[in-house]
Amino acid sequence: MEQKILVFDSSTIISLSLNSLLYILERLHEKHNIRFIITEEVKYEIVEKPLQIKRFELEALMIQELLDKGVIELPAVIQISSKEIKEKTFEILKAANRSFMARGEWIKLLSAGEGSCFALGGILREKGIDYALAIDERTARMLSEKPENLQKLLGKKLHTPVKMQRGNLDIFSDTRIIRSAELCYIAYKDNLIGISDGIRLIDAMLYAVKYKGCAISTQEIEEVKKSLHN
Amino acid sequence: MQEKENLLDILTQTRQAMLKKDVFLLNQLSNRTLHTASIYNDSDNIAVAVIVYALSKIVEREKYTSYKEWPNFFKECIKGIDSSIEAIKNDDTERLISSITGIRKAIERLSGHLREYIEDVFRKASINKASRIYEHGISLQQTSELLGITLFELAEYTGKTGIADVDLSITKPVKNRIKDAEELFE
Repeated sequence: MEQKILVFDSSTIISLSLNSLLYILERLHEKHNIRFIITEEVKYEIVEKPLQIKRFELEALMIQELLDKGVIELPAVIQISSKEIKEKTFEILKAANRSFMARGEWIKLLSAGEGSCFALGGILREKGIDYALAIDERTARMLSEKPENLQKLLGKKLHTPVKMQRGNLDIFSDTRIIRSAELCYIAYKDNLIGISDGIRLIDAMLYAVKYKGCAISTQEIEEVKKSLHN
Repeated sequence: MQEKENLLDILTQTRQAMLKKDVFLLNQLSNRTLHTASIYNDSDNIAVAVIVYALSKIVEREKYTSYKEWPNFFKECIKGIDSSIEAIKNDDTERLISSITGIRKAIERLSGHLREYIEDVFRKASINKASRIYEHGISLQQTSELLGITLFELAEYTGKTGIADVDLSITKPVKNRIKDAEELFE
């Protein structure tokens, strides 16, 4: 059977962990033929750094546990080296951070963590592996799926015209992106949650991840719920 | 140092607003550096945004003034602002950083509850300004690095704002995204 890979950005794992929903990753991993991968940069943000902060130490330990169990893995398991990812990340960041210009300056939009996810995605694409990115934060998703919206948003918020360098954005297009909200939806449909309260449960889960940083609108949540009735 | 005239004006008005206890003006001033901070990722502008916002919250709370350490702390803050203004006038970035650090250090010299309260105000001010920069379109991680806060606390805070409900944030029809997820997990 064809191997599928879901590459996680920090934001998605954070939304799930802050809601004590990390167990759905374990259950999805058991049920489906799909590997969950994080880059070293993301591991640093969601494990190593929060391990030093008392308030988020428990979340970090719970994520580490998923790594120890092999539910979440590092790219080495699919024979992709850190060096390869770092090189590609450099290319990605150069493109992302030279895509929008305001007041004669390129706006630095993305950081190494988010860049490394697109980098790993690009490598998987070159290898012909079926993959998607799991990203809860808004900017990286907009950059990939609708950069013209990001251009409008930046212009509106910065109160200045923003120029977009379209050619630099090709590297981000055609990337499938899902969020923790869609992971909750799949886990709900697969009856993997362990709470039986029908439509109220999916409502509760979607709002829970929204309130912990998943960039999903109220309108989108209502549409997800409607889709379950059809 | 980006847009020094703007920074200079903000700090000059901050000084006056502090003396007049004009919380509304302080709050407005703290947002004026955000556009510059977002475009240039400029740490000076970010630091000023955090300091001015924190000062607006501190001045707002009357009870702080009843602590015996308050007059000295207030004096240190004004001294830090004066020194920052001089540093900007002289294009002295190093002095600006040390003046801003001086205000933060004045907190370390406090003790007991007042120190706890004010440290908490500064922490919350950083998260608030980070959320505003994320709202401007800079990514979550880039913003957390700029403000020196964790992704966890920033995600928690932004989740409670209306950032995800802005129409421009919707980049794909829900049914298509669900289809993508279902294909991946089929």
